[in-house]
Amino acid sequence: MPLAVVGVSHQTAPVEVRERFAFAQEEEAPVLERVRALAGVDEAVLLSTCNRTEFYLYPILDPETLQTVERVLADKASPLPRPASAYLYSHRDEEAVRHLFRVSSGLDSLVMGEAEIQGQVRDAYHRAALTPAEPPLAGPVLNRLFQTALSVGGRVRAETPLGEGAASVASVAVELSRKIFGSLADRRVLVLGAGSTAELVVEALGREGAHDLTVVNRTYERAADLASRLNGRALRLQELSGALREVDIVLTSTAAPHPVLRTPTFREAFPSGPSRPLLVIDIAIPRDVEPALGDEPNVFLYNIDDLRKIVDETLERRREAVATAETIITGTTRDFLAWYASLEVIPVIRAMRERAERLRAAELERVLARLDLDETGREALDDFSRRMLNKLLHLPTVRLREGAAGGRAAELVDALRYLYGLDDVSTAEPAREKAPEPGETGDVGGDAAPGGLPGRGRRSG
Amino acid sequence: MIHLVALTLYIAAFLLWLRALVGGVRGRAAHVPGPVAAAGVVAHLVALVLYTSRWGELPLVGLAPSLSTLSLLIGVGLVATLWLGEAGRVGILLMPLMILLEGIAAVMGVRPAPADLDFSGAWFALHVTLGLAGVGGMALSAAAGALYLLQHRELKSKRLGRVFRFLPPLATLDRMGRIGAVAGFTMLTLGIMLGWAWTVRFRNTFAGGDPETIWAVFIWAVVLSVLAARVGGGRVERRAALAGVVGFALIALSFVVIRALAGDAGGFFL
Repeated sequence: MPLAVVGVSHQTAPVEVRERFAFAQEEEAPVLERVRALAGVDEAVLLSTCNRTEFYLYPILDPETLQTVERVLADKASPLPRPASAYLYSHRDEEAVRHLFRVSSGLDSLVMGEAEIQGQVRDAYHRAALTPAEPPLAGPVLNRLFQTALSVGGRVRAETPLGEGAASVASVAVELSRKIFGSLADRRVLVLGAGSTAELVVEALGREGAHDLTVVNRTYERAADLASRLNGRALRLQELSGALREVDIVLTSTAAPHPVLRTPTFREAFPSGPSRPLLVIDIAIPRDVEPALGDEPNVFLYNIDDLRKIVDETLERRREAVATAETIITGTTRDFLAWYASLEVIPVIRAMRERAERLRAAELERVLARLDLDETGREALDDFSRRMLNKLLHLPTVRLREGAAGGRAAELVDALRYLYGLDDVSTAEPAREKAPEPGETGDVGGDAAPGGLPGRGRRSG
Repeated sequence: MIHLVALTLYIAAFLLWLRALVGGVRGRAAHVPGPVAAAGVVAHLVALVLYTSRWGELPLVGLAPSLSTLSLLIGVGLVATLWLGEAGRVGILLMPLMILLEGIAAVMGVRPAPADLDFSGAWFALHVTLGLAGVGGMALSAAAGALYLLQHRELKSKRLGRVFRFLPPLATLDRMGRIGAVAGFTMLTLGIMLGWAWTVRFRNTFAGGDPETIWAVFIWAVVLSVLAARVGGGRVERRAALAGVVGFALIALSFVVIRALAGDAGGFFL
């Protein structure tokens, strides 16, 4: 099928290059229209995230088209340290389909199995589908392609452990917090130190609703600086034990060469131990928290090695799931290509049915003229003839679609033309189906709405 | 027949929860056991409504009807937790208990015991229903407590495997345990007070000697102790979870012992 993807991703370019290729949301519609005009394609969707920028295009009838799109991307990213072609890749036909399915499943992500990409694919597709354009940017083929991609992404996550577990230090911290406290909405976080990793973890906790933040640091000014960035309050190190009593989550990341949170400080805060759970995440090296505190009742202490071990186990489980995910993707790719191939016989099916319907109507009229029937009788005869016709055409229609999906479209179309005298029918007749709204199935090949092969008007019959 | 339908749905829900635990919790499949359990509770309710209609009395007299009603009340408590998302997974422990109770009732045959009781009518129905609901609340508290202890152990040992992912958060389990214990205590207290009020009014005595009264006072004291475990400092949540489990175990054990000692001479419930 004449589908292609052209783009750049974390697999081919470092972040400083990728960010030059990235499009802001407001740039998407204009660049898609520009690409469509320059490349002469009917349908185009742009997927632009921090890890990839990709154009999905249909139909690609001329190899030059891809070079045109590559030039658009090169212009956007210029100047680059190396020629743009060094970073860009393209996939065509079945490989393009498979590529999008792998992307939406998280198999092509920087952190394998991450779930965010599914939403990004959905948003990219919705933005293209909802852009007012004639014909629609996401027409029948890309509409079906992206919906199938979203479906296969969901299936892979539901049927394999690819999306399970936490795959970064920040997400482990969030997962631990949620499994201890449930909702993080009213949870209080204490940050000890002002390291950048701690900032990432705090941001991740903030996204889950933990907004009550206290920063404690040996240098008060640094604590105040971080606190102001994260909308928290700053305290001096001397106030640590008092702050400990107030919080649910403690995050430590100082550069101190020895433990900062020791038993005496802890005892000062909790003379008989904390009465409620306290999650302590120590991401500093050397460790900030005295290991013995992990044995305290109600204290859940995790150091950086514990967190990395959890991340490694998650990634290992995800790697083990890749083979199953690839099998699902291969099956779905095959189904998608079969659907696409079946579109080729749609005009012939339509012509065959129209011809049969004309014959039925003419014969019915002749018979009714000779019979003296009341309205009920006329309706019964009309109904009978319709049912008869539908039953006669049902099996050939199904077999045609199946045969086309199996790669026998040309042979079957020729046979049908010959048998039914459909010489004037061409699979090349241009037909622009109305693109379904996002969320609709977009099955343009259905008997209820048969049409020509979408956007393939330039192909010979 | 409808009891068997309910039992089948309970078993199906339990197996689905078990599959989610063993095979991982993913996608829509993770949400299936709850509705299956709810369907079982509805079928169970229909069965007991038909019982009431057929026999002209509530299923509260005799061991089999009482166990079936207790199973239903626990099920109602479980269905209430389904609205709290992950909290519904407490069903993995409650469901076997419900299956056991309903299974025993089904094997014995859910029909009224040939008991001729002075204590009957609305007083009696309310007294027994509140008592059973109190025990049901304690079952919920115990199941939440057991899962709390398990999740606590997973977190302490830093094993974030399938059990960790399946189980609800500690805070949720603690809240469920507290709600179960408070509701159980309230209903049990009201039920016992109602029974005593009836005895005092119609028999002019406290009837302190019969096995049911002794058992009622015993389990009331146990439930009070479970609640008391939440008072004070230290590891309150873990202590409360443990108390919930031990408390319910004591209630169940005492029932078996008294039942064995009383034999057929027991009262309406025993």
